[in-house]
Amino acid sequence: MHAAFPLPDPDFAPTREFWAAAARRELRMPRCGCGAWRWYPAESCAACGTRAAPDWELQSGRARLFSWCVVRHVFLPHFAERVPYVTGLVVLEESKLRLATEIVDCAPEALAAELPLEVAFRALRFPGVAGEAVAPCFRPRGGT
Amino acid sequence: MPDWGQRVELDDVSGQVAIAGVGESDMSRASGRSTREIVGQAIDRALADAGLAPSEIDGLMYHPWGEPFTAADFHARYGTRHEIWESREGGGMHWAGSAPYHAAAALRSGRARHVLNSFGVAWASQRAQMLGGPGQAHAEDATKRNLELPLGWFPQPVYFATIARRHMIDFGTSEAQLGAVAVAMRRHANHNRAAVMRDRALTLEQYLAEPMILDPFRKLDCCLISDGGGAYVMTSPERARDLRPPPVEVLGLGVGRSATGEYWALQDPITSTPQVFSAPAAYAMAGIRAADVDVLTCYDPFTIHSILFVEDMGFCAKGEGGPFVASGALDFETGSIPYNPHGGHLSHAYVLGIAHVVETVRQLRGEADAQVADARIGVYGGYTGGATSTLVLGRA
Repeated sequence: MHAAFPLPDPDFAPTREFWAAAARRELRMPRCGCGAWRWYPAESCAACGTRAAPDWELQSGRARLFSWCVVRHVFLPHFAERVPYVTGLVVLEESKLRLATEIVDCAPEALAAELPLEVAFRALRFPGVAGEAVAPCFRPRGGT
Repeated sequence: MPDWGQRVELDDVSGQVAIAGVGESDMSRASGRSTREIVGQAIDRALADAGLAPSEIDGLMYHPWGEPFTAADFHARYGTRHEIWESREGGGMHWAGSAPYHAAAALRSGRARHVLNSFGVAWASQRAQMLGGPGQAHAEDATKRNLELPLGWFPQPVYFATIARRHMIDFGTSEAQLGAVAVAMRRHANHNRAAVMRDRALTLEQYLAEPMILDPFRKLDCCLISDGGGAYVMTSPERARDLRPPPVEVLGLGVGRSATGEYWALQDPITSTPQVFSAPAAYAMAGIRAADVDVLTCYDPFTIHSILFVEDMGFCAKGEGGPFVASGALDFETGSIPYNPHGGHLSHAYVLGIAHVVETVRQLRGEADAQVADARIGVYGGYTGGATSTLVLGRA
């Protein structure tokens, strides 16, 4: 485990661009020169086999809620101050890729399948861990 | 055949392997026992059950993950020195169901005559947090650690609560239907002297009155954390007839894999398991249909898994698992497919599938505590998230 766990590891190359983009308040997803999305990031493309680096394509940040759970139990001590929180999977509008994320600014009772969402960048901080990372969280779109 | 995973192509090993002895350790909450002590006790009992001396075990199977019981451990426990063939294709989880495939090759070639597969954990004693226990393997995956865990999508209870929610969205599955699984497993455990929850009754009303710990899961939707283990001895069907218990034979076996492995976030459909690949393959090798199965044991870390497995293994249509389990289908006395009569991971013990195989064998011998009447064909559904096994056993 890297020193800043559970923050993302800046030395893990496959996700470095994802987190670097998030720090600029951008959601970018990896796309191969052949056109295939490379998600989760891998050294080679499952579609064409190339090991060339993917392009990190800017996303609108629009998404739909695929599924979620409301975490009340503390599984890792780092999350003790965050519970209860909503985490789950969203489907991004352009790429249709699924992203694991935190759903913010929404009461659990208001969550519903296919709920329209938009990206909301939030700083992740964990007690006892130095530093922070900006992460693409999601919230209901347009105040719905 | 769907394209999100595949069955592994296997040679036909039907009729080549018998299970001639089974044993499980004492099952408990935190007990202070070591994994080796636990597995050693299970092996003692499996050897006694088979009527074999330690010096007659010339094959050992385990999985390198966790704390395997190797030939060195075996010799240390029994004071033996003989040559032992070792295979790392054994252990618990889905390997508890696929180990006989690899044992078959060793038995055929004469490399081993009596092959013992074992697995155990002391997770109840070893840990208070999800790191160091079931969650550790997932936290060690760099992709999960960098894309899922920081956003709070970790560990297994979170993955499978999310999957359960999607099953509810797609098929209308309800909390009470999840609860029906927990209640059925507890009723079975109440009939099983070896079960950790043997003395604790559970009604659906009690289940529904419990608070959610990660909606839509209550604590009762999650497996126990246990100290315990199991072992079973494999040999040829011919040799098994000379050993003590009534022999149980391997009729068929299948292995399935999801193309997305254990990245459940990416699996499409997320509410299916690779049992859709392994179960038909195993039934075909055995020459049976799902309707021929008398008793089913499946690796059940959460209530939702039992609903997914009865669907994916052909006992009801996809999406109908909720109403199916709520109808009482899993009950060992009155159900249409008696399921985990020992109580499973929810109420017997969470020893990662090895005790499910032990239970299946006991059912086919007619020696189980919660005995299914006249059980002749038993199936174990093994699971390691991205991989499944299906082991079809029959009373010889």
